[in-house]
Amino acid sequence: MSYLEYQIKHTPTGLRKVLYLNWPLIVLLSTICGVGFMMLYSVAGGSFSPWAEPQMKRFAMGMVAMFIVAMVPIWFWRNMAAVAYLVSLLLLVAVELFGEVGMGAQRWINLGFMRLQPSELMKITVILLIAAYYDWLDVRKVSHPFWVLVPVLLILLPVGLVLRQPDLGTAILLITGGGIVMFAAGVSLWYFAGVIGSVIGIVVAVFKSRGTDWQLLKNYQYGRIDTFLDPSRDPLGGGYHITQSKIALGSGGWTGRGYMQGTQSRLNFLPEKHTDFIFTTLAEEFGFIGGISLLGLYLLVLLFCLAAAFQNKDRFASLMTIGVAATFFLFFAVNMSMVMGLAPVVGVPLPLVSYGGSAMLVILVAFGFVQSAYIHRPR
Amino acid sequence: MIRTPLRPLARILSAREQGENPDRIERDNIRARHDDMQGKARQRAEGRLLVLSVLFLAAFSAVGLRMGSISVSAPQEPRSGGGGDNILAQRADITDRNGHILATNIATYALYAHPQQMIDPVGAAARLVEIFPELDHEQILRQFTGERKFVWVRQKLSPEQRQAVHDIGEPGLLFGPREMRLYPNGALAAHVMGGASFGREGVNSAEVIGVAGVEQVFDETLRDPANNGEPLVLSLDMTVQAVAEEVLDGGMQLMSAKGAASVLMDIHTGEVISVVSLPDFDPNERPRPLTEGDQSDSPLFNRAVQGVYELGSTYKLFALAQAMDEGLINANTMIDTQGPMQWGRFKIRDFHDYGPQLTATDVLVKSSNIGTARVALMFGGERQRAFLASMGLTEPSPLEIVEASGSQPLLPPNWSELSTMTISYGHGISASPMHLAAAYAAMVNGGTRVTPTLLRQDSAQTGPRVISEQTSRIAVDMLRQVVTRGTASFGDVEGYEVGGKTGSADKPRPNGGYYDDKVISTFASVFPASDPQYVLIVTLDEPSIEGLGEMRRTAGWTAVPVAAEMTRRIAPLLGLRPQIETPALTAVTLSSN
Repeated sequence: MSYLEYQIKHTPTGLRKVLYLNWPLIVLLSTICGVGFMMLYSVAGGSFSPWAEPQMKRFAMGMVAMFIVAMVPIWFWRNMAAVAYLVSLLLLVAVELFGEVGMGAQRWINLGFMRLQPSELMKITVILLIAAYYDWLDVRKVSHPFWVLVPVLLILLPVGLVLRQPDLGTAILLITGGGIVMFAAGVSLWYFAGVIGSVIGIVVAVFKSRGTDWQLLKNYQYGRIDTFLDPSRDPLGGGYHITQSKIALGSGGWTGRGYMQGTQSRLNFLPEKHTDFIFTTLAEEFGFIGGISLLGLYLLVLLFCLAAAFQNKDRFASLMTIGVAATFFLFFAVNMSMVMGLAPVVGVPLPLVSYGGSAMLVILVAFGFVQSAYIHRPR
Repeated sequence: MIRTPLRPLARILSAREQGENPDRIERDNIRARHDDMQGKARQRAEGRLLVLSVLFLAAFSAVGLRMGSISVSAPQEPRSGGGGDNILAQRADITDRNGHILATNIATYALYAHPQQMIDPVGAAARLVEIFPELDHEQILRQFTGERKFVWVRQKLSPEQRQAVHDIGEPGLLFGPREMRLYPNGALAAHVMGGASFGREGVNSAEVIGVAGVEQVFDETLRDPANNGEPLVLSLDMTVQAVAEEVLDGGMQLMSAKGAASVLMDIHTGEVISVVSLPDFDPNERPRPLTEGDQSDSPLFNRAVQGVYELGSTYKLFALAQAMDEGLINANTMIDTQGPMQWGRFKIRDFHDYGPQLTATDVLVKSSNIGTARVALMFGGERQRAFLASMGLTEPSPLEIVEASGSQPLLPPNWSELSTMTISYGHGISASPMHLAAAYAAMVNGGTRVTPTLLRQDSAQTGPRVISEQTSRIAVDMLRQVVTRGTASFGDVEGYEVGGKTGSADKPRPNGGYYDDKVISTFASVFPASDPQYVLIVTLDEPSIEGLGEMRRTAGWTAVPVAAEMTRRIAPLLGLRPQIETPALTAVTLSSN
């Protein structure tokens, strides 16, 4: 018997749970998805195929999954966290062994009816596991070195597998998402200071060592860093994506060119215009106003999640909600920085807007957990 | 409610006695402990949550601000390194002495392709080959369908070609604006211009660099932004150059020569007014160097500067002038011309037998090898060498074209007495027509050294003295007599008092010895003799013409008439007044009706 259960004085049962859902959050998520459909329709030149229609089908599937997950009591999911983590880990290993190669990286497992990306799954199960871990762990031991090492290893294990694919974007999301949950769980600040300090140290060392005999990276790797720092150095090569998307953003101006009027994306200048770089289309067609509105939607989602986490007295539910919100935020933040040239191109989709089945499904299921935590919160 | 201690049996028992349920107490205790635990965790978590919220908000604002800053910035095309914006395309014009354009720039477009962005690479390749038949279809197809992201297709497009490529409608075919070098007069002064081609090429511009001639020598000056596009003014006169080329080309064909060169030089300033080398080429489409055979047969070869030839009897003037200047002889000194002159196992002969003696003037007028050789022996090899060096005949010509560095005269390895004698009549030493022009200019301009130049000069040169003014005057007089009663009788041009000296040298065989039917025939002339202004050198390579029933190769029959025709047409262009002797009036008829 979980301690959570007897905190619950009354829990909605059966279909009554539907009334207790966090409806504003659902509306926000649906709106963002709606923006996504609109943009996919526009990018395809005013056509539902090849992107908008499958995306809508997956959205419907994802919503159903979200409702099912939300109906199941949250303590069941907490108990399943370790199992889910193990399954995802096994799938990651499987993708390493039998995966299909797409776009130069090995990320898929073909399940017949859909192509599964275990790394997407992992982003959520890591959050679940770390949250469950801190729920289980005695609060007094949280900052004990051994008990800090355990979750760090739990995070780094899938990170290692993901980096082998290679998928830098997912690795960053895993580390940062898990780190945020650990931070929220109250791990001593000194650990974080140490990690951030050593990362800065490594970066400095990498740059200082350049050109010397003991330089830490290969020359072409420095080349990539240079291109990131100044994309116009190589506008037809590595800097192409970023330069083009900057043009698109710039040409959108304040109000944009109008729906379906974007030229940069329409004329095939933009690579990955329907996936990672879909925001540029939006910014070109709806301008700064459109971009900042989408930004507002994401911010609202985040605020609703944080508020739910704040209200929820249960530690697992709270940590898990923060973790999901953080992952969602990271998707968004990394993608936006990448598109606007604040970060290197690492291949992270814009959550719920970019074309892509696995990502959308996983995010909606993750919000199913958030909903479940919200419905079954101690009252 | 009892909260602690948890499970001592006594407590449970006593609780039971009081009718309370120990299980419930335990549950309460667990709950209380969790509450306590959670309370502590919460306090901390709430703080952390606030920190996180602030971080998230900061990130959102950063993204929002960035979005705003990009939105207000004007859309920019990608530029820099790959774009070629830092490539300086500027290149100043080149004009002749009167400001007529010899080389300028025009805007054109280069064609390049982004194969990865092509809609129909195969179709585009096929259409391109239709427009540019010289393209290799298979190669273009391979480039367009391969992995490459960027392919240059053509460096220059005419407006019609550009429109045709536009009409293909392929977005992967792109045009890069650039300046190209244009020589509007085509082959005119081709060897002086040299040519230009693209250096570093970018999408948005390309560097134009000189590859030969003045374009290469003055490359930095022409491209120097500090000069503000100020044109480079040459000493050439476009009109004179055109006439010289026309006459020389006609003469070359008439004489069946395989090549020809001419140099017209102002004897006071050293300015080269015209310099021609035939065959020539169009610097707009500069041909490739020959891959086999003798480079001197290439049209790119500048015979007037790079071509070092044995210039034959034209050198006799130097020997006589030196002897006169040193006071060894005067114009009327009798020179022994008894032939043949035996020197070891070597015999020096004359073309005709001129009898036992000739005056110094007649040695030049009749072109006696024996006489000149005897004069040369008077001052000897060492002084001869110094004298020739003082006119620049022993080092490469300082002319401002890049090819001039290849004009090192061929000198005898050891300057023996035999060499001294043969050199005195222009054998065993070689130099370019440009060398000869500068040396003759020094002989006739009053006796000061002349450095040839292709840049317009404003004043006469004051070079070091070579011979005295007196000797110079006599030299001009002797040259005039060569034309009036000597070997260059075809060279006279009415009104312009041409003086000059012929030279016909057998061409050396590539592996020793001389051809007896191939000559380099040269006429070095000066006009007008009463007040010398210009030196004109005309050289024909392997000329021959039938005259008086036999094949003639000597300069008097070949180079001289060509030079005369050139002088006839050029002199008026140079602003020289013909000196026509008006017949004196012997009687005046007054008619009155």
